[in-house]
Amino acid sequence: MKDRYEKIGTLLILLLPLTFVIKGGYLQWITGYVYLFLIQGYVAWFLFFKSGQPFFGYSVTMALGAYGTIVLTEMFHWPLLPSMFFSAVLASVIGMAVFLSTSRARGFYVSMASFLLAILFPKLIEALQPITGGRSGLYFGGLQVMIGPKPLFLAIISLTVVIVAVFFWIMGTKTGKILTLISENDELTQAVGINTFKYKTLAYGIAGFLSGFGGALYVNYTGFVSSVDIEVFTTLYIVFIPLIGGSRVFYGPILGALFVILVPELFVSVERYLRIFFGLIFILVMVLLPDGLAPNIEKLLRRIYSLLKPSEQEKAIVRE
Amino acid sequence: MILNGVITGLIMGGILSLPVLGVAVIYGITGIPNFAIGVIGVFGGFLTWYFLSYNLGMAILIGIGSCFAIGYILQPILLTPISERGGDSTLFFIITVSLGFIFEGLTRAIFPRPSISLALPRMGRLSIAGVTAEGFKFFALLFALGTLVIIRMLEEHTEAGKSWLATSQNLKLAKLIGINTNHVFSIASGMGCALGCVGAIFWGSLYNLNLMSGWDLGFLGFIIAVVGGIGNIWGGMISALIIGMVMSFSGYLLGGMWQSVILYAIVILVLIIAPRGILGSERSL
Repeated sequence: MKDRYEKIGTLLILLLPLTFVIKGGYLQWITGYVYLFLIQGYVAWFLFFKSGQPFFGYSVTMALGAYGTIVLTEMFHWPLLPSMFFSAVLASVIGMAVFLSTSRARGFYVSMASFLLAILFPKLIEALQPITGGRSGLYFGGLQVMIGPKPLFLAIISLTVVIVAVFFWIMGTKTGKILTLISENDELTQAVGINTFKYKTLAYGIAGFLSGFGGALYVNYTGFVSSVDIEVFTTLYIVFIPLIGGSRVFYGPILGALFVILVPELFVSVERYLRIFFGLIFILVMVLLPDGLAPNIEKLLRRIYSLLKPSEQEKAIVRE
Repeated sequence: MILNGVITGLIMGGILSLPVLGVAVIYGITGIPNFAIGVIGVFGGFLTWYFLSYNLGMAILIGIGSCFAIGYILQPILLTPISERGGDSTLFFIITVSLGFIFEGLTRAIFPRPSISLALPRMGRLSIAGVTAEGFKFFALLFALGTLVIIRMLEEHTEAGKSWLATSQNLKLAKLIGINTNHVFSIASGMGCALGCVGAIFWGSLYNLNLMSGWDLGFLGFIIAVVGGIGNIWGGMISALIIGMVMSFSGYLLGGMWQSVILYAIVILVLIIAPRGILGSERSL
């Protein structure tokens, strides 16, 4: 029951930015940007933490969605929505291919293979400069031009809520429960006769598709993508979103995305020291708060509430 | 052209083998994959550059000594406690990348220039089999090979080296026979970071060092170590030389843009086909 309330609460929190859609300006723009990374953060939450798959190629699946959309619409003149869908399918296929090709390896080698892919991909984008624009990037009008910035902002918020709801729904189904089992003890899950290979492939497929779709939304929202946007640090920041926020609670990635995306925006004047600050915070959270920020903030709020709440004695005095 | 490519590849591989040796020493002894050694090494490279105008020897000593001290201190205060709490490779990956963020940030904050070149003595020009190159490049290659031989000799012929071997092979037994394993871990971590610094100094004098060079050296160092069989010092050396050749020839044939693409593609293929590396790993990740 608690899970259900937590899920509904998380979705309601995610809908909050709809209240300032009329305001526009920088606040609206940055909120949309946070939501685009939130999609990726929830993909990492689902695949890395809930399904136990050590995948580090989120920037690659995201980039496939972004570049695929531009290439299909601009060079092959496909309609926009089928381009976005096909790019997401491509990201899904690549995600599954990474899993299938590394299925002979175990644990950290899978992490490494996908992480190397995250290093390789921006270099490939730079090598294919005539098509991809390399570091100079590609500009894209897309939905921004077709429907305008405010409806696009609304669409980003709504689609993020839908994607997060899909993840919550999956985790409640039999498939989600098996994925949780796999993340807790892969060998035991296999020993009880469950075809873990099938479920893992499915998890990669789902994560790849939604990450690719998130990438397609990203390029429609920002109107630009270059190899710098998808460098290896992007994948690290995406993994840090649920890690910092807290992967055990449903709303953890929201806190993580706010931290990872908003902190650099807020401290732009001291950008020189930002990496030191990030590094220290990441280490401190990993060492001192391994469950992430969310459960600890929750504990702190409960403690404050219990301190502020009048005790039974105080209530009796007030009644008298 | 082929001979030129071979020699360039050997020199490149020789320099790369220094951070690879660093990774191999740290991983072989402590069992911890440290991705920060490249960034820490480049921090030491910047320190060397900063003091270079005073005295060459002192500058190199300050750079390498600082990196050794950083590695030596980080091990007992951060990495060993996490290892004792059962931290896995993925956790160490995240922790050491975060450490890399701190040292990259420190390099950015402390030093006035984001990109430097270390002006070390070039040692004239040498000609081997019709190929002429700077004496310094051959020195870099010989230094790397010499370091490997020295580390191997230390391991086999000194008490300290034997305690490293014992610690890497059986930690519990090493503790039982009275080896101060925490000290061994710290020495290994310090040596790894110092080797990263030596690699950065050579790299910075042949090419240049910037804020991102540390990541390139660290990641390259790690993947080359994985290709050779992580923790396997000979495997790491052979792999570094092969990778150096691949980089050299792909650079010549396809241009600089494709150099890294080919390199990473080959490494990913090796990981897929032979996850334990070409000479096999002495430890399992």
